[in-house]
Order: sequence, then C-alpha cells, then structure tokens
Amino acid sequence: MATQTPTQETTEFGEVSRLKGIAFKYTSFAASIVGILALGVLLAYVFWDAFGLESAGTTWYLSYTVTLLVPLLAFFAYARTRPDVVAGAFELFSLTLGGVMLTVATVIVLSVIASPPVWFAYFLTVVGPAIGMYVYGQYNREATWVGLGILAAVVVGPVVGTLGLGTFSSLGAMLGAPGIYFLSLVLPGAGMAAFLAHDRLELSKRQSIGIGVGLPVLAIVGVPVVDMVPQIARSVWLIGLVMFGLPVGFTVVNTAQRRERWAAFAFPAIAILGFLLGEFVVGVVGATEPSPWLDWQYVTSGPSISNAAEAGLYPAIIGSVFLIVLVSVFTFVFGVGTAIYLEEYAPATGPLGTITRLVNVNISNLAGVPSVVYGLLGLGIFVNINAQLGPITYAGFGVGTVFTASLTLSLLILPIVVISAQEAIRSVPDSLRQASYGMGATRWQTIRNVVLPRSLPGILTGTILALGRAIGETAPLIMIGAATTKFSPPSGLFSKLTAMPMQIYAWAFQPSPDFRYGVVAAGVVTLLIVLLTMNSVAILVRNKYQQEAH
Amino acid sequence: MSNEGQTPDLTGDRGFRTVRESTYRYALAGCAVLSVLTTVSIIAVLVLDAADFFSVVPIAEFLGGTRFSPNLQPRSFGVLPLILGTLLITIGAAVIALPVGLLTAIYLSEYATQRTRSILKPMLEVLAGVPTVVYGYFAIVYITPALNVALDWLNSTLGLGLPNLGLFNGLSASIVVGIMIIPMVSSISEDAMSSVPDSLRQAGYGLGATKFNVSLRIVVPAAVSGIASSFILAISRAIGETMAVVLAAGSQPPDIPTVQSAFGIPYVAPGDLLGLYTESSATMTVAMIDIASGDISGGSTAYKSLFAIGLTLFVITLAMNVVSDVVASRYREEYE
Amino acid sequence: MTTEDMATETEAQDEADEDSLISTDPGKGGLDENADRGGVTSGKTIIHSRDLDVFYGETQALQHIDLEIPENQVTAMIGPSGCGKSTFLRCINRMNDLIDIARVEGELSFKGKNVYDDDVDPVALRRRIGMVFQHPNPFPKSIYDNVAYGLRTQDKTDDMDAVIEESLKKAALWDEVKDRLDESALDLSGGQQQRLCIARAIAVDPEVVLMDEPASALDPIATSQIEDLIEELSEEYTVVIVTHNMQQAARISDKTAVFLTGGELVEFDDTDKIFENPDSQRVEDYITGKFG
Repeated sequence: MATQTPTQETTEFGEVSRLKGIAFKYTSFAASIVGILALGVLLAYVFWDAFGLESAGTTWYLSYTVTLLVPLLAFFAYARTRPDVVAGAFELFSLTLGGVMLTVATVIVLSVIASPPVWFAYFLTVVGPAIGMYVYGQYNREATWVGLGILAAVVVGPVVGTLGLGTFSSLGAMLGAPGIYFLSLVLPGAGMAAFLAHDRLELSKRQSIGIGVGLPVLAIVGVPVVDMVPQIARSVWLIGLVMFGLPVGFTVVNTAQRRERWAAFAFPAIAILGFLLGEFVVGVVGATEPSPWLDWQYVTSGPSISNAAEAGLYPAIIGSVFLIVLVSVFTFVFGVGTAIYLEEYAPATGPLGTITRLVNVNISNLAGVPSVVYGLLGLGIFVNINAQLGPITYAGFGVGTVFTASLTLSLLILPIVVISAQEAIRSVPDSLRQASYGMGATRWQTIRNVVLPRSLPGILTGTILALGRAIGETAPLIMIGAATTKFSPPSGLFSKLTAMPMQIYAWAFQPSPDFRYGVVAAGVVTLLIVLLTMNSVAILVRNKYQQEAH
Repeated sequence: MSNEGQTPDLTGDRGFRTVRESTYRYALAGCAVLSVLTTVSIIAVLVLDAADFFSVVPIAEFLGGTRFSPNLQPRSFGVLPLILGTLLITIGAAVIALPVGLLTAIYLSEYATQRTRSILKPMLEVLAGVPTVVYGYFAIVYITPALNVALDWLNSTLGLGLPNLGLFNGLSASIVVGIMIIPMVSSISEDAMSSVPDSLRQAGYGLGATKFNVSLRIVVPAAVSGIASSFILAISRAIGETMAVVLAAGSQPPDIPTVQSAFGIPYVAPGDLLGLYTESSATMTVAMIDIASGDISGGSTAYKSLFAIGLTLFVITLAMNVVSDVVASRYREEYE
Repeated sequence: MTTEDMATETEAQDEADEDSLISTDPGKGGLDENADRGGVTSGKTIIHSRDLDVFYGETQALQHIDLEIPENQVTAMIGPSGCGKSTFLRCINRMNDLIDIARVEGELSFKGKNVYDDDVDPVALRRRIGMVFQHPNPFPKSIYDNVAYGLRTQDKTDDMDAVIEESLKKAALWDEVKDRLDESALDLSGGQQQRLCIARAIAVDPEVVLMDEPASALDPIATSQIEDLIEELSEEYTVVIVTHNMQQAARISDKTAVFLTGGELVEFDDTDKIFENPDSQRVEDYITGKFG
C-alpha cells in the first residue's frame, strides 16, 4: 500500500494496490490446476489399487525408489531443458508402446478373430493384390489405372475371397500358421523396412537392401530360439517381429542417427535396468512384493462374477480390438471421403453453397448429440427394424453384435473425424492446388498427389483421437444390447460382444471390495493404458507433421 | 505449334479420365450423403417411435407426470422427476465447471507464460479424454466415500447435523461431470479471449489499469459471447452425459420436493433441494440406460418410452448447440 | 454439382445466343487490325479475346476486353493493383473456373478455338497453356518429382529423365541442382524455387506460358535471372506476363497491355510505343507515375 515512501525528494507516483490482482492471479492458477490435480489423485488411487501396491512392504518401496524412481527422476531433470532428448524419449516411448499394442491387436485379429487360413484367403484376394498394385504404382508412375485397381481389389476382393474361401483356406492350412505369417507379414514387412530405411532414414541402398533381406532371415533363424521358450508360439514371434520390430527398430535407428538425441536412450535403459535391478534386490532382500490385480492371468481369463482372483478381461479386450478395427475402417473411409468432398468438390457459394453450409452445420451439430442418442439410433436402425424392399428383407444386424456395435460407434465418431480431416485439408496452402491445376492436373490428381499427402498426418491424428473416444464409449453399447458380461470372446461379425468399458460398468456394481477396488481398478487401468498409447502415437504423428510443415 | 492455323482440339481425353474423375466424385459425394442420412435417421427413429409411445401415453401425461416408473406396476411415465434429476446434476456440474473453467481461461489467456500454457492445455484436454465410465467408477468408489469422511469430520468438529451421502448420490455425480466439462469451458472461452485484439488491452494499460482490471473489465466483457457460447455447450454436454451419472447417481429418480407456501407464494425449502443431492438422482440418460438394459426387444411401452425420452434429450441438446453456435458467431463477427 | 460444372453451365446459357454470331476463325481480323496499328508484324495471333467481361459475384472485374496476343513473343500486362490484369491472365487458361463466384462472358480464343466453348475441357486447355505464379509454389517433394509432376499427370512419361534435364537446363537451373535432384525442392532459395516452377511448367511442352508477377517475391539478383530466362523462353514459347513493375515490362516485353482501374484495357501496343509515346493521356499519366 502507498504508505512507505523512502525519501521526500523523489516524485511520488504512489502505488496502486496489487493485492487483489495477485490474489486473483493465484486463484485463477489454482482453478486451472484443480481439475488436473483431482484427476491425478484419482488416477494415483486407481493405479495403486490395480497393482495391489498396498500389500507391498517398505523394503520393496525402498528398493524400487533407489533402483528405478530416483534414476528416472534424475533423467527427467536432465531432459527438462533439452527438447531434443525429450522428443527422442517420447518417440521411443510411444512407438514401443504402440508396437506392443499393434502386436497384441494383430495377434488377436489374425489368430483369434479370423483363423490363419481365413486370413490367408483374404490376403491372397484383397490385401496382397492391393499392396502389389500400390508398390507397382510407386515403381511405375505411368500406370494410371493403379488407383482404380486398388479400389477394385478392395471391393471385388472380399467377394472372391468369400466365394473361394474353401479353396484358399485349405491352401493356407497346408502352409500352416507360421508359413502364412511368413508370406503375408514378414515378406511385405521386409519390403516396408527396406523402403523406410532408404526413404525415411536415408540409409544407403546397400544397407536398406541388407535390412530388407535381414528381416526374413532373422525370422527364420529366430524360430529354433523361440521354440525353446514354450510361452511364445512361432506365429507370435513372426507377428511380433514385424509389428513390434518395425516401429521400434525405426525409432531406435532414427534416434541413433541424431547425436543430440542420444541421451534419450538413457530413458529405456534406466527403465529396463532399473526394473531388473529392483527385481534382483527385492529377491535378495526378500521384501514383500505387491499382489497386482492387473497381471497376465487378468488379461487372459474370462470375467468370473463370483471369484475375484479368477476374473479377467480377456473377452472384453478381444471385443474392443474387434470394434476398434472395424470402426477405424468405417470412419476412415467415410470420414475422409466426406471431408474431401466438402472441402474440394462441394460448391462454397450460390444456392448449392447454402446446401454445403447446411451440411457443415449439420455435421458440427451431430458432434454435439449425446452418445446415448446414437445408441437409440443403432437400436432403431440396426437392431429393431424390419424393412421389406421387394425381395430383400432387412432385419438389422442383430442385438448387441459386433457389426451393430461397430456401425453405431462409427456413426458416433464420424462427425469428429470429418471435422478434424476438414481442418487438415483446409490447412494445405491453396497455392499448391493452384500449381497443380495450372499444370493441367485434374481435380482427383490434385487431391491424390498434392492435398492428401500433405494433410494425411493431420487426418491420422484426428482419426486416432476419435478412435480413442470410441474405445471408451459405453452408453451406445448398452442401448444396442451388448452383453455386460460375456465369458467367451466374439467369434465373428454377427456374434454378441462385450467391450472393456462395458465390463467395467458391469463390475462396478459388484458389492465385494475385491471387485470394487481390485478387479475394476485393473480394468480401468488397462483401458487407460490403451488410451494413453493411442494418444501418444497421435501426438507423435502431429509433432512430426508440424516439424515437416515448417 | 505443330498444328498452326488449325483449330486446336481442346476437348481433352473424355474417355478413361472422365470415368475416373466422376467415379471418385460420386464415391466421395456418397460419403458426404452419409452424414445427412445419419441426421435424418436420428430424427426419423426418434419421432416415429416417440409418436408410437404418445399414442399410448398422452403427451400431457408424459411431460406433466410426477412419477416415473416404467417397469413396476402401476406403470407411470411422468418425465418430470427425470428432468429434475438432470437439472440437479447439470446445475451441480455447472457450479463447479463454469467458474473454474472461466478462471482457467483467464489464466491461460492473460497470465500464463507460453511454456505454462503449452503444458496446461494438453493436460486439461486429458480431463475430457478420460472415458466417462471411468469417471463414474471414480465417483462411486473414491469420491463418495471421501465426501462422507469429510462430512463426518465437519459434523464432529463443527457440531453440524449434515446427512451422510447414500451409495448413489447426486453430489459425487455432479463433481465428476463438472470435472469432465471444465476443458470445454476453458478451451472455447480461451479462444474467445485470445481473439480479443491487443489494442483493446493496450488502451486499458494506457489508462493506467492493472492487469487484473484489464482482464476482468476489458477482456472478459469483450469475449462475453464466446464465453456464453462455451457455457451453453458445456451445459448441453452435462445434460447428455450418461455413464458417469449412471454409475454415480443411481437409477432412482429424485422425489419431487414438496412445495410449501408462505404468504401465498409457493416455494421449496433450500434444505430440501440440497438434500436431494445426498440421494440417488436419476437423469433422463440414466432412465434410458436403465430401460435398455432391461428390455430392448421392442414393443412394450417401456421400450417406446426410450424414444420419447431420447427425443426430449435430443431436442434440448440440439437447441442448446444451435443457440451456442449463434452466440459464438457473434464474437467471430466482432473481431475476425 | 461442382464449381466447374456450374461455371460451364452458366456460361453456356449466357453464350447461347452469341454463339451464332461469332465466326469460327476470329484470328484474321485481329491480325489486320494489328498490322494497321503499324506495330509488330512478326507475330501471328495465338490468343484473341473479344468483348470479354468477367464478374466476381456482382462486381465487374474486366470490361469488354479486346486483345490479341502474338505467338512467340513476350506480352506484358501492367496496371495498378486491382485493375484486372491477373484476372485476365487467369481467364486464358480458365483458372478462374476454380473460383465459385467468377463468371466469364464474351469470347477468348486460343488458336481460333473459344476456350469457353462447351466442348473445351479446362484440364486439356491447361495442359497446353502453362502457368507460373506470384509466389514460388513448389510441391513439398523432391526437385525431380516437382518437374516430373506435370509429365506424370499428363502421362508423358517416355524418356522422362531426359525431358527433366532439358527443362531444368532451359530454366537455367540444371547446373545448380544436377547433383541433388533427390533433395526437397523446399531447400532451394526463392529464386531457384521460382525457376524450378518455370522448369515444371515448360516440362510438359506447353505452347503458352502465363506468368503472374513471377519476380515480385524475389530479390533483385534472382529477378534479373528470371528476366533473362523469360527472354530466352520467348524463342520457343509465347509468354504472357503480368507485372506491377513498369521497368520490368519495358525491359523484357515486346508488346504491353495497360489495364487501369475498373478492369478496363486502356491501351495495347508495342512496348516501345507504350513507354515512349502512348496514345492515351491516362496511360501516360500512369507510366510517368502521376497516379496508380
């Protein structure tokens, strides 16, 4: 307050009271972090419960504090002022998690949902031809039919595959699952690796070819080694080699190539060594270990309703993977298609422009419709419907089936995907479009060669974030009659499913504390880890994109 | 140059290329039609089935009834208790989220450094990214017991006679819904405040105003339509929120409090209203989940009431979204 | 319905009654008229506009433009900003079709064929009339792929390496980039990027190259390189250049068209005549800097 004036000579401006301002500043700061703090505390509790940390002894905590926590904190302190190290560590972290998730999802999709021979049939008729034509198109740019050819493979291929399912899958059965995966994953993966090495990591031609040849060789050489470990099937080894090995190998080489990022390797090193050292110390000292609810048994068994120790999330995890795969296909195709049409084709002015504007307003309003109403939509048009169109009877896709659920969730997130894809497309500078049209390119050529490559990272980021929303949605699933508790995973498009959030909902009403504080907490943590992985991959894509755009 | 003097052929290759171009064009247009179809289907499904429902239960009985009991005899489909439940949760959430979100927006837009902002903003987005069923679980297993401990402590130290919370209660549901809509308020309000031109702020500083004065007297009023739009959107989100409320608030609709009268003016005792937060407080969305998890085979009146409630919910949220759009477009016109 | 369809349809209606009046061979009259003015005789008309009006919504951007652009010469369009010179340039290869609200009336013929006829495919037209823009706009691809872009979209992929080398040489860029064709075009300097855009435009062997203030975003050295290049190009191509820089027009062009505010073509003649002894007082005022 304006009471202390040091000397009489100085001009007196007086002092305006800052007290209110300072109080306000800190109040508003407190407001900005109160929600984050509250969520942080809740998350800490749920992790604590899920990993059963309560039962761990003091020595256990001490050991891990010394071997893992302190070194990690030291690393964070070191990295705080070094953005390159942070970026490197973040890339290693998210691509490793992403690789694990991709491997799990692929194993589930290829060997649990579809059997290997069935996958082989569709690989021969759909995936293989499409990849082949794409590669040929990259190699021979004169082939203008490639785009339509891929489209045809995607449309006609499934029909051929379904008609010839018996023949193709018996062919696949002769090869056996490992043989199928070697042909359909490892060999294309080798091509992909060689391409990434040459094109993205800028390795020499010789090195890239070495990597391309090395991957299949490693796959075969690894088989006898893997055979010694009974827990790992040959198929899992081959899938993991491609789905985990490629992203992780990529980020390792990418980090190693940049000197300023080398320190980032300390992060995984500290995490792995710290964990192993901690295990060792705990074993030597004989400390009481925690008894986690979230363990191998949990992710591989069904949802027992009476015995908490035997309860697991397996059918729900499979159901969620099923959903996410189908929803991502539906929303990517239709979402990006809609966004391209609205941004590149639809007229912006005149009477037709009004229609375009209305469609845009409509989409943004759809994004605000409560998810439970989408559930009603699914109930009304996919479940309880009986329409007769001439000879065709449409009676929906069944109560709570995989197909019904994925269509409903797709419609739910479609507006979000469209809006983010529109933003990405709009951010492509108009001068590039003009350049392309000025060279006599057609509209589609301009979209295909200029607009899409430039906006794809933004589109991918938006799609992954929207898929994160879909994977956590529960209300629409309840509305369409998805099972709350199901003891076996869904076996096909038209079998009933449950999903991770459904299972959490079902368990949350269990009165026993083992369920309330243990099993459900483990489910929540599993769901959150999946979401964390998806979001960090999305952020990684966005950051890469922003760097390249500048 | 080779065909000097001749009229050039500019008709182009109308064969393959045209086929390709129009194939893609119509395929993409087909995608865009899907979003329109979605809207049409939502409205058709809701209106048709709701009309079916209203042929059994008159609209007046639905909108004016004070008891909602779709499965127990005597059946009754009064939506008022559900609307009261929705109001309770929404008001509770708004009391938390609106001031917190607004203060957050002011802090981010006026006070925070670039670095703080770049850390806080993504963290705030996480609040909206956590699945709502997880929030419901948090409310039921952590927040309600914690609140009861706090209430006991208050009662014993201050000698108050506050009631304890039930297993399912409106208060914890309001808190989690409030937390999850904070980012909605803060991000849209912050956008509005950031788009207030700097010249206005400088005018304020030039007149000797403090940062506090500039923030509250100049920036906030200038961004008021954006802030209002964010409030409406957040409230609409709270109204439509489902899983957190299903888990935390339970499936029993609140009792409509007795209306007292003093000097001929009807009123409801504030204690009665606040007391409602300690008990189960089913909302419209909860009732829908409740009916759907029992019977979705179709045909029964309870099943059809789903669509009547859904239509009510859809109309309310759509109206709020449209109003929010209109309000927001005003500030865009002002400063962009 | 898209912008292109709409544009073609409205034009079709507008022009329906005019079609019968327009002879199929409008070039002749123009040439005679041109000769009367006593200017250049070496050029044969390649682009001829007759009574061309352009509207953006309600605003008229060009008014009754009559203009003949001679083959294998450099024609400059000058005028104050907003005078419609760029609009005219974009009419020639129908880039205005990409703007929803643009509407074109009248006739603009390329080698005697009205480019606004119904049977003209703007894509085919643009393959014969290339364009270079105000700001260098290379694609975020390699240098090689930038030049190859037009060849690939137009299926002219025979002997592509040779064509690309030839175009880069013509654009006076080959020596600077021959060792790094795989590098991103965005790593080039502004002047190099603009020469790359020129190489990209001429790689598909157009007959006309339109340039919309191609040097306005460049430094003086890069500008003079581009100007030298334009003079060389005019041996093989017809060059139409829009510029706001009168000295530039005087230096490089054979003929100059002066547009003044309101989308009006005030004078069109040999460059020497325009700059030394224009007929119109307004043009003289503009050139001597009294306004604009």
